Amino acid sequence: MNAGASTGGAGVRIEIDDIQSGALHPRPAPYVGRFIFLRVADRHAGRSLLRRLLPAIEGGLPSVDPSQDAWVAVAFTYQGLRAMGVPQESLDSFPRAFRQGMAARADLIGDLGESAPAHWEPPFGTGDVHIALSALSPDAARLDKALERARIAYQDTPGVQVIWQQEVHQLPTGRTTFGFRDGISHPNIEGLGLPGSNPQETPIKAGEFILGYPDETGNLPPMPSPDVLGRNGTYVAVRKIHTKVAAWRQYLRANTASAQEEALLAAKMVGRWPSGAPLTLTPDHDDAALGADPHRNNDFMYRANDDRGFRCPAGAHIRRTNPRDATIIGDARMHRLIRRGTSYGPPLPEGVLEDDGADRGLVGVFIGANLERQFEFIKAEWVNDGNFIGFPGEKDPVAGHHGGTGSATIPEKPIRRRLQNLPSFVVTRGGEYCFLPGLRALRWLAELED
Amino acid sequence: MTPTPDATPSAQPERPGMRDGVCSEFTVFTKIKPGHADALREDLATLAGGSSDTDARAALRQIGTLHDARHVIFDNDTRHMFASVFDGSWDTYIDDFGKTAIGGRFDKVFSHAEGFPGITDPKIKDWFLAQQAPAGVFVSSYPDLTVQQIWKDQRVNEAFQAVLDTPEFRAALDNPANAELLATPAFQKLMEEAAG
Ligand code: HEM
Repeated sequence: MNAGASTGGAGVRIEIDDIQSGALHPRPAPYVGRFIFLRVADRHAGRSLLRRLLPAIEGGLPSVDPSQDAWVAVAFTYQGLRAMGVPQESLDSFPRAFRQGMAARADLIGDLGESAPAHWEPPFGTGDVHIALSALSPDAARLDKALERARIAYQDTPGVQVIWQQEVHQLPTGRTTFGFRDGISHPNIEGLGLPGSNPQETPIKAGEFILGYPDETGNLPPMPSPDVLGRNGTYVAVRKIHTKVAAWRQYLRANTASAQEEALLAAKMVGRWPSGAPLTLTPDHDDAALGADPHRNNDFMYRANDDRGFRCPAGAHIRRTNPRDATIIGDARMHRLIRRGTSYGPPLPEGVLEDDGADRGLVGVFIGANLERQFEFIKAEWVNDGNFIGFPGEKDPVAGHHGGTGSATIPEKPIRRRLQNLPSFVVTRGGEYCFLPGLRALRWLAELED
Repeated sequence: MTPTPDATPSAQPERPGMRDGVCSEFTVFTKIKPGHADALREDLATLAGGSSDTDARAALRQIGTLHDARHVIFDNDTRHMFASVFDGSWDTYIDDFGKTAIGGRFDKVFSHAEGFPGITDPKIKDWFLAQQAPAGVFVSSYPDLTVQQIWKDQRVNEAFQAVLDTPEFRAALDNPANAELLATPAFQKLMEEAAG
């Protein structure tokens, strides 16, 4: 952990040690982790849990070698803050999206059909999830050690119930269930002393990710009251997403004539090759050395060499969700996220095209100071529509819910390729909006009286 | 908004609205007859929703020059605004509309406005003019396109995209017999659009 506070641009001092490590910490690789949802019977149970939990929660940045690190983070849903006995006036000061919760926002963010909250895995969306613990570590031994104190806290506190747990781990392939390296891109945040992954990205104001500091609008992000509760906190959208890997492979097979074409089509949909090498830097074939090189695998922009998307289509997953400097409607810097994708379930063995019925996918964590302007905007405008890139109605080929009628345009000379009748490759199993308080705020919550 | 003195009733009325390219804006503010606000609201809801949505679409097709329009009740239910954008000007076809379903829709809504003479009344243009307040700024993102052209462009693009989806077109590009056509600047321009 780095001691002390660092100085943001324009002399803004960031109280790094008051920010939960889990907010900013890039995911280790390899990794194992666990998500644990708790329900508390009443505010007294919640507060005594939190008092015991506090020593397990660290603040500050990771040490020099991120793979040495393991950490536990604690976040609260709106129902959780209510259960903790946070005064109504303070509850009312939280932004609308957070108060309503992710399930209530399903129409807006496109969780419809098989992804609708009515089909979610309990306890997602039921209002029972109060506290979300998450732990990530480079290996199982360190994970257990990090979680031990937390486990004692929730097991020994009467009135605290574990209602859901999810193990996540890096697959043996080092890739996600669809076969692509994840965890490459990380925003360059001003004044944190944590390098971003793209050397060409102009630093993003810290207030985009942490409450209490100026954001890209030049203002302070809307912050809940009292100040001690909001400051150094942030919001987290957690989603469990099932991936239809067999359907993905079948689709690729059915729409290509060779293994080479298959790999290219998949890469055009993601924006990277399986190794992580970006299409923008290597448009015709994968490049394992580039994919594995953290100094190069995210070192690119779009406008100068690929504005029309002949290398990386404007509609590819990574270009939609972070258009960088590409020509789009609006300002991409207003919609950045810290994200951490972690896999669950067994991989579908290489080459298998039939579904084996296993549940596999990812738990995605999306972090930012403004749920509506960041996570929800990206989901609604960039993932679920294509108007911003000039393809109205076209969704993200990977993350969109297409229902068999999706289309995706892949620029190509002489004639663009247009994928039609796309099926959905992902199903939302559930999700929650959480508030991830700073350390002082956690103590304030633990010490509430009445 | 006092009525303009009507010296020559048979002449085209003045057109005070602003223009940008082929289209112009037309906004009228009327006084709602006392006690009519709820009835107006109901009429608007009927016109907007449900089964009459198909009617509304059909009406727009029939008008063929209307980009968009809105009806707003404001000032504590005392006033009503109709704001719209037309190709050319709003009044060119008003006599024609009087004879169609659109005339009926206008009649229904404006019957709640004070002094409305009826859509087929010879003084209807003067009445609208008297209620009109011209915009201070009016800009369009497509000042060169009329509604008719937009519909045409949409049909052409859909047909073009469908052609691009056929393997036969792809094969035709590779066919040496077409080389001359492919080399023309006009065709090159088309291929710019075909690439994505
Ligand atoms: C639904 C299943 C999803 C899968 C399988 C998936 C997978 C991936 C992969 C493989 C990458 C590339 C790794 C990297 O650049 O770090 C990536 C990047 C990214 N994803 Fe997703 N993702 C999914 C959903 C989402 C959603 C719902 C969002 C946002 C609302 C999102 C936001 C992002 C962002 C912001 C990046 C980084 C893009 C960049 O900076 O270039 N993803 N995702």
